[in-house]
Formats: sequence, C-alpha cells, structure tokens
Amino acid sequence: MSALSRAAARLRGALVRRAEVYGINRRNLALVYPNNDRRHYPLADDKLLAKERFQAAGVPAPETLAVCEGLYAVPGVVEALRGRSQFVVKPANGAGGGGILVVGGWDAEAGCWRKAGGEPLSPRTLGRHLADVVFGVHSNQLEDRAFVERRVEPHPLFAGLWGDGLCDLRVVTLRTSPVMAMIRVPTAESGGRANLHQGGLGIAVDLATGRTFRALHRGRPVERHPESGAPLLGLELPAWPAVLDVARRAAAAVPLGYLGVDVVVDREVRPLVLEINARPGLEIQNVNGRGLGPALAAATEGRAA
Amino acid sequence: MALSHPHKLGLTVLALVLGTAGLMAYKVRALGYRLADILPVRQYEVTYALDLDGHGGDVRVRSFLPSSDAHQTISEERDQTSGLHLSQSMEGPNRVATWSGADVPNGARIRHAFKVLPRRVSYDLPAGLEVPSAYPPSAAAWLRPEKEIQVDAPEIRATLQRIGGDQGGVVERLRRIHALAASLQPRPFKGTTDALTALRLGESSCNGKSRLFVALARAAGIPARLVGGLILEPGAKRTSHQWVEAWVAGHWVPFCPTNGHFAELPERYLTLYVGDEALFRHTADVNFDYRFETHGALVPSPQAKATFTLFDVWGLFDRLRLPFALLRTVLMLPVGALLVVLFRNVVGMPTFGTFLPALLAASAGETGAGYGVLAVLLVVAAVAAVRWGLTRLELLHSPTLAILLAAVVLTLLTTSMVAERAGIAALTRVTMFPIAVLAICAERFYLSLTEHGARAAGKELAGTLAVMLACHAVMSSLALQVLVIGFPEVLLLVVAANVYLGRWVGMRLSEYRRFRGLLGGEA
Repeated sequence: MSALSRAAARLRGALVRRAEVYGINRRNLALVYPNNDRRHYPLADDKLLAKERFQAAGVPAPETLAVCEGLYAVPGVVEALRGRSQFVVKPANGAGGGGILVVGGWDAEAGCWRKAGGEPLSPRTLGRHLADVVFGVHSNQLEDRAFVERRVEPHPLFAGLWGDGLCDLRVVTLRTSPVMAMIRVPTAESGGRANLHQGGLGIAVDLATGRTFRALHRGRPVERHPESGAPLLGLELPAWPAVLDVARRAAAAVPLGYLGVDVVVDREVRPLVLEINARPGLEIQNVNGRGLGPALAAATEGRAA
Repeated sequence: MALSHPHKLGLTVLALVLGTAGLMAYKVRALGYRLADILPVRQYEVTYALDLDGHGGDVRVRSFLPSSDAHQTISEERDQTSGLHLSQSMEGPNRVATWSGADVPNGARIRHAFKVLPRRVSYDLPAGLEVPSAYPPSAAAWLRPEKEIQVDAPEIRATLQRIGGDQGGVVERLRRIHALAASLQPRPFKGTTDALTALRLGESSCNGKSRLFVALARAAGIPARLVGGLILEPGAKRTSHQWVEAWVAGHWVPFCPTNGHFAELPERYLTLYVGDEALFRHTADVNFDYRFETHGALVPSPQAKATFTLFDVWGLFDRLRLPFALLRTVLMLPVGALLVVLFRNVVGMPTFGTFLPALLAASAGETGAGYGVLAVLLVVAAVAAVRWGLTRLELLHSPTLAILLAAVVLTLLTTSMVAERAGIAALTRVTMFPIAVLAICAERFYLSLTEHGARAAGKELAGTLAVMLACHAVMSSLALQVLVIGFPEVLLLVVAANVYLGRWVGMRLSEYRRFRGLLGGEA
C-alpha cells in the first residue's frame, strides 16, 4: 500500500471516528442544553443543595456533621467539633478543590486537631477557615456556606492507588443511565489533585464488569502507576453493581439529565456519592479510548430495553 | 404545520441572508450606491515649512496655495505661522499667499498646512481635431513667447518642422511634441532651464522639458502653459515639479513629458499654480529655507459619504459632533465578536470572555495594536504581582479586585512617567488605552489565575492577544468599516453566521489534537 493511500485510509478512519467523539460544541448542544436546565445548575454546583436532594432520595453520601451558614454560626460549629476526629471542611460552592480542609485526630492534651500531614490545627485557626469560607474567599462570590463532613476512609483498593486522600469514581450518566466511567487518581506530580490535565491519572472502568481496562497518564496509556508502580489494569472494583446503582439514584434525585456523578467506596465497601457535576468534562473519552457516541447510544438503548 | 428545529434554523439564516442581499441590491439599483465606493482613498496632509532668518527688518514671502478642482480636493487648510501676517489674493487662476511682517527676527517660521484628496484625471482626445485659427482671449494669451519660453527662436521653429509638429491635427502635433520633450535625457538639475537651452543640451530636468514642450506647442499654434506643483509622497522634501497644460477643445489638458504622462494627471500630482512662476519669492537679505512635509493616510471615499444616505449614521454622527472613529468602532464590534466566536468555537482558542478581545482591538484602534498588546501585558504583570502579594492575606473577592484596579492604574501611570523621563514618546501612550477595558481584562485574568491556575491563565492570555490582533486587523479595515456604514444590513449576516455557529456541533480544531488518540488508525 502506498503512503498516499495509507494516509487517505487514515483520514477516512479519522472522519468515521470523528462522528463518535464529542467535542465541547456537541456536548453543549446535544447533551448539556437539552438535558440540563440552567436554573437547576445550583443543584449540582452547590454541594449542600445536592446533599439535601440525596438525603431526601435516600442516596448514600458522607454524613454531614455540621453546616455553617454564616459568620454567627462559626463559634458554635467549632465548639461542636471540639473533640471530634476525622472530618473535612468544604465550601458549598468551592471550585477546583479550593478551601477543602482535611482534619485528622483530636489531640486532647494540646487542645487542637492534627491535620492530614500531622501539623497542629487550633480551634482558632479552624474558626478562621470557616469564616473565610462563609465570606466566599474560596468561591469567588460574595458569600458561601461551609459544611463539615465525616472523613471517608477509602476502600483499600482505592487507598492503594493514592494514600494521601480520596480518589473517586466518575460515572457519566444520561437520563440516569450510566454511560462511561473512570477513576481519577491524584499523583504527587499533580499536587494531590485529581485533575487529569495537571498530571493526574485516569483509569477506565468497564461498565458491564467493573474491571479497569485502560489507564492514561499525561495523554499516554500506562499499565502501572507512574509513581508507585502499582498495576492499574484488570483491577476488579468492589461493589460495582452498587456503585452503578447509587450513581443512577443520585442522577434521579436531581432534575438534571446529563451528569458526572462522583462516587467513592469506603472501607466498609459502601458506595457514597461525593458530588455531581452538570458539565462533566470530555477527557473521559481519552481515558476510555473511545468516543461518547456509541456509549450514549448503548446507554439509551439499554434503558429502553 | 410545526417546523422541525433544523428547518427553523435554516429558514432564519436564509431570511437574514436574503434580507441583507435584498437591501443591498435595492440600495445599489434604486438609490445609486456604488459598492466600489467602500474602498478608501489616500489623503495627504501637506505642510509648507518655511524658515527664515530675518535681520529685524520687514520681510515678505510670496508663494502659491492649491485650489480645489476636478483633480484635487483641498480641505482643512490652516496657517500656524506666528509673527507674520498672511494675506491671500487671486492672480488669474492662482491663489497667491503673502506672508509679511515687520521686524522679523532670526528663526521665524512659516507653517501652512492643508489636506488634499487627489484623483487621477485623464482625457480622451478626439483624433480629428484641427488646430483652430482663433482662440478666446484667455487662451490666446498662452500663445505668446516668454523670456524662457522662446517660441519664436529659429531653432524652436526648425525643430518643430523636423519632428512634423507643424502638420496635422492637434492631437498628432501634441504627440510629437510630447515625444520630443520626453526624449530629452533626464538630469537632476535643480535650477531653471529655458526651452532653448534644454533643446540645445538635449538634456534637462522637469522644468526645461516642460518649457520646451510649451514653446513647441505655442509655435505649433496650440495654447500651452507651465504648471507647478508637488508629487505627493510621504516624507519631507524640497523638490517641486513642473508639467504642462495645453488648450484642447476648450479644456486645459495636462501632460507631463518628464514622467511620460500624455493627457493625464496622475493621482499623486498636486497642482499649486499655472504659468512660468517661481514657487517662492521673498525679500532680499533673509536666509530662506523651505521644505514640504507630506503624510499620507487612507480615508473613506467622499463619494461614499455623499451617496450612502438611506440610514445615514455618518451624517448623524457629524450632526452630533461625534468622531468618525467612534462610529466605526461601534459598527465593527459585532464583526469583532463574530471573529472571537470563530476562534473560540471553531478553532478552540481560549480567550478572556467573548467580548474582551474585540473590545481590546477596538480600543487599540486609536493607539495601534502594539500598544494594545503592551497595555494588556502591563496589566497582566501588575495583576500577577499583586496576586502574589495578596494570596497570603486571603482577602475577599471584591476587595481583591478593587486592589487590582488600583495596581493597574498605578502601573499605567508609572509606565507613562518612566517613558516620558526616558524620552520614549510612543510608550507614554499606553495611558490612553481605555481603563475600563483594561480593568475587565485584569479581572478576567485574575479569575482565570485563581480558578484554573497559571498555565491555563497564560493560555487564555496568549489566546486573547492573538484573537485581539486578528480582530484588530479585521476591524481596522477601512473598506469593511465603510461597507458596514453604507450597508448596516451586513450586520444581519453577522447574526446569520452566529445563528449557524450557535448550532454547530463540529469538533474544534484544538480538539482534533486533544482527541488525536481516538481518531488515529486506518478505516
């Protein structure tokens, strides 16, 4: 075969596969706009509003220990947390992981908590952090709410991928049907963030079996964790049917049709929904090695059947 | 019957395109609009810069000023001379200017400026014209010999005979005379050459060739005269130019033997006077120096302004005394925004918002694109520095932005101040850049920096600058501006394009790279 006809064949192939790949324009026009009414975005953007819906629908989520609605509530929340261990403070409308404070054990002798890295955290500092959050420092808006969640202890399979925090499962759903799934793993390189563009690791999960079958790091397929060397392919995820089930139920709990549902599996093998995203990214296609097109068709067919 | 969604879109786009085409056709057909009139024309600003070292006595300087005619339109004439009085008079067809003053000191300056919109003029001369036996007095005066135009000299007569210039019709004679005068060797001699000397030497500069042309034409019975003026080209120069006019069938028809123009006056010739005159005369005992300073600039064609009358926003802005620059900026903004949409949704180039690159480009219209880029970079540097200083304070959003604005203002003023001290006049102009646009730019950059990190913010910055330059290139096109002024319905096409792009689901160019792993391989 000549180089020219080979190039032509490659071009034809690219054009065929292009029809399967969703770009941002197509995602917005074909998936986000028809399925997600803009006025319902706050249900996804505001983690507390989402959690209220989850609770009402019986979707399992990390237990909320306290909500701080304003500056007046800060001292009360700090007092309520005194003596408690293993919790996380989050802004309801935080963006990009800003303002999340992970707290470890309570040191009764010192009268302070220990942060994830072991540094002390005084009640005064915690109060200031809460105040910053309710003032919107981490949300780029005039005010926000802070909430305190029980710190989830991840299932050993996930803890093995990333020890310093949580790595979550992203399940993309269309009108409650799972479409594609991946695990997003933070790395030291990505600064503990699960962002795939910043050096995080994406691992594709087969929807039918719950097995990992592909992993992507910095745009290249890998078989092992680039830092720990742990194998990434062929892992069988715990409680997979239950994971898909909570993803479906979380999607059904809000009037948004196209979602990215973030799920964690804890040490007791319980899937918990962390948050939902009304404009899930498209990188999941690269991680899975295929376009959303066929997956969306399969998901909607499966639902109809 | 309900329309399907794609049909609705198609009909909308079709209606907009047809509406535009219909309006444009109506204007061209019924209202006499000419599409060619959207093309800009070159206007020159000419300044007479005359310097004289007087001795404290009376001084007079006499020169000629141009008049408007079929070939040239003179406007915005102004005299910026101080210490000398300007008086004007008409001498025949010439506008004579006399600057006079008593006790004129050393270093007196005469500055007289005007704008000229020249047009090329050419004549089709009918071949069969006979040389008339009599002329009206005004033309007949231009048949007589002059001191340096020796019509009756035997050598002139003999030469006319030799070339056959005394035979045949008017055009035939002029053609032979023109060919002879043009065949003289060119010589960059600045002084005066009379007709006979030019003929004897067989070489001359423009004035000798022109005098020889005039002498031969008059000898052939055709009234002819010298014309003095300038060839318009940007820069400063002392060289003036001379060419001729011959009286043909009731018209003064131009010829330039020096540059080979027959019965035509090129666009860049500026006529100042007719007749064998000196461009400058001045009292003795003064050191006199002169130069002509010329700047060229493209301006909208006056025909466009005169004929584009249906939705006359141009006239409206004139009546409201709003600058033309504002009008074209306003009308070009939707075009710029469409360009940004193309870059964002088709190319996939991230920018700070949809309007900002277009707004930046519009703002840079006055100062030049380079200053726009510079102003944005200064602002971004200020924002990055302030953010670096403020992060540890963990301030609230709005006060942070207010601090950024202060930093931006101080940075711009400091830059202007440093630039002024350093004598970089151009750099001082960054302060002219609209602060509102820069403030939005600062906020956008700050948000991007905090929400997406330095890398993403840098990409957006690069995209913003690139799209801004593209917008500037398109939005500053004078032809496009006049097109939209004359045919504002063109903006409906912009709307149509946006309707189409608003439902366009194709992959962005950048996504071909992003998803190249999914697209690779053979069919």
